[in-house]
Amino acid sequence: MSERRPYIRPQPRAWWAHPPYRAYTIRELCGVALAVYAAILLAGLVCLARGPQAFESYRAFLASPLSLAIHLGLLATTLWHMVTWFRILPKTMPKLVWRGRLVPQALMTNVATLVAVVCSVGLLAMVVVVGARL
Amino acid sequence: MSRPKDSPLPKRTIAPLFWLLFGAGGMLSALFGPALILITGVMIPHGLGVPERFGSYATVSAFARNPIGKLVLLAVIALLFWHAAERLFLTMHDMRVAPAPLLRWLTYGVAALLTVAVVALLLAIGF
Repeated sequence: MSERRPYIRPQPRAWWAHPPYRAYTIRELCGVALAVYAAILLAGLVCLARGPQAFESYRAFLASPLSLAIHLGLLATTLWHMVTWFRILPKTMPKLVWRGRLVPQALMTNVATLVAVVCSVGLLAMVVVVGARL
Repeated sequence: MSRPKDSPLPKRTIAPLFWLLFGAGGMLSALFGPALILITGVMIPHGLGVPERFGSYATVSAFARNPIGKLVLLAVIALLFWHAAERLFLTMHDMRVAPAPLLRWLTYGVAALLTVAVVALLLAIGF
């Protein structure tokens, strides 16, 4: 009798390193880079709990050129995370109908990205204004 | 109450809970992430646009002692870890790095441990 032998398309092991999957891999790893930033904040919390002396060495690290380079790298990955996050958003949420018409995905992405820019710039402005008044 | 084997309902899992934490962390970092990194990593340490004493032990410990400050720190640090855990789990699962249960322990498990550590530190710093 015949045996069931389905065709299984071969998949190279490093499929994620080549287009079109490379964009997916980069997007996901940019999300993972956020954990590095969380770890830096956590290290600050550990130093804070250990006392003023430990916290001073943490501040010295933050003021170093290495830390500046790390944070600029993190800033770039987080901006890419922001851009891609709102590209995914319309694909993961229910369809939005406004006045009997389907809201285009590109419009949702653009509006959400604009909201994010306003949020980040607003937070920056708030910190600078509060700092100037103190 | 146990679910009968021939139940038409899908099996209930705790996956939506991880998905919720992932979404919350992703949204928080997409909205405020760039500003947070600029503030804590560039402006405060290098005194750009903010007073020097924003980064002092006194100011930062006053922030960490404030209940609202504690909530902000817990939300930012823990949610970013949970967000990264979900993404790392799914990506490594797709890359067939290791069996799924092991990957869950390495990602969700580490995020859970770090969350407990943040809560413990915030309590140790006091009010």
